[in-house]
Amino acid sequence: MHQGGPTIIVKRHGHGHHAQSEHFDPDKMRQSIVAACLSCGVPTGHADSISRRITGQVSEWLVDKPEVTSEDLRRTAAHYLKTHHPDAAYLYEHHRSTL
Amino acid sequence: MDIPSSLAIVVLAAFIHASFQLSVSVLTLLSGHAIGARRSQAKVLRLSWGFITGVGVMTLLVLSFISLLFIHGFGRAGVPLVVWAIACGLVFGIGIAVWLFYFRREKGTKLWIPRPFAEHLTDRSKATKRSVEAFSLGLTSVIGELIFIIPSMIISALVLLQLPSLWQITGIAAYVLISLSGLLIVSTLIGSGHSISKIQKWREDNKRFMQFAAGGALLALGFFVYVSKVVAEVSGAI
Repeated sequence: MHQGGPTIIVKRHGHGHHAQSEHFDPDKMRQSIVAACLSCGVPTGHADSISRRITGQVSEWLVDKPEVTSEDLRRTAAHYLKTHHPDAAYLYEHHRSTL
Repeated sequence: MDIPSSLAIVVLAAFIHASFQLSVSVLTLLSGHAIGARRSQAKVLRLSWGFITGVGVMTLLVLSFISLLFIHGFGRAGVPLVVWAIACGLVFGIGIAVWLFYFRREKGTKLWIPRPFAEHLTDRSKATKRSVEAFSLGLTSVIGELIFIIPSMIISALVLLQLPSLWQITGIAAYVLISLSGLLIVSTLIGSGHSISKIQKWREDNKRFMQFAAGGALLALGFFVYVSKVVAEVSGAI
């Protein structure tokens, strides 16, 4: 089991770019989930409550993982979000593949 | 070529232009980020209109520039048939390229444009907060899809140059307005409260049809112009 500090998130941007890493930031995740929910017409209060619940579930999932990729993180959050709001989960998971 | 046929070609070319999806993708992203950042509906609409105005202005400038190049290149003598034939060849080539390459094979609505350019547009759509930034994003997104829209613009410019001045202005205005129709529809849907995810899902579900329709329409346009201009004049001369 992972006993160290916060989980490292490995980010990779496009082809030929070096991987960057940063610590998991629950606030950042909460904001992006709220944004996805609001884009789907979810009322602000409900979006906040969904985002807190999902961030909590993802934090639990990360407990025994020292390092994950940003894609894994996004996929997992989208998986949890799907049970609350499938449209928001779709937007959250695929927003980088729009263009 | 008579005036109704010429205008029909311009209208078809403008609809083909409207079927290309880069600007629609950027508008979807821009609106999604603005709504997600809890901006008011009025602000979201102002950003959308800023973006659409930018796309319209750049389309107008590019179409006028191409027309000007033809006027300077060939003057009053008129555009030689070989240029018409080359333009039709370009339309055919890009039509087939659209069938083969337009959307990437992966999930989503990723397009075959340079990835750094796509990433730049994605990042800028997130960072855009003011209408003037949305306007410049609209200008840039037209440049991003220039490779796909250039054939319909060249054909339109060639056709418009043959018309009387008043009809040239009418044709350019019609082209710009029709080319914005996709953006206007998406903006209206977002403004009337439709979910961004439903719009994006629809686009993803129908992307192969849109790709087929755009490529097929380009081939039809090239064939029609080739027959009605090049073949008609060559057979008339014989």
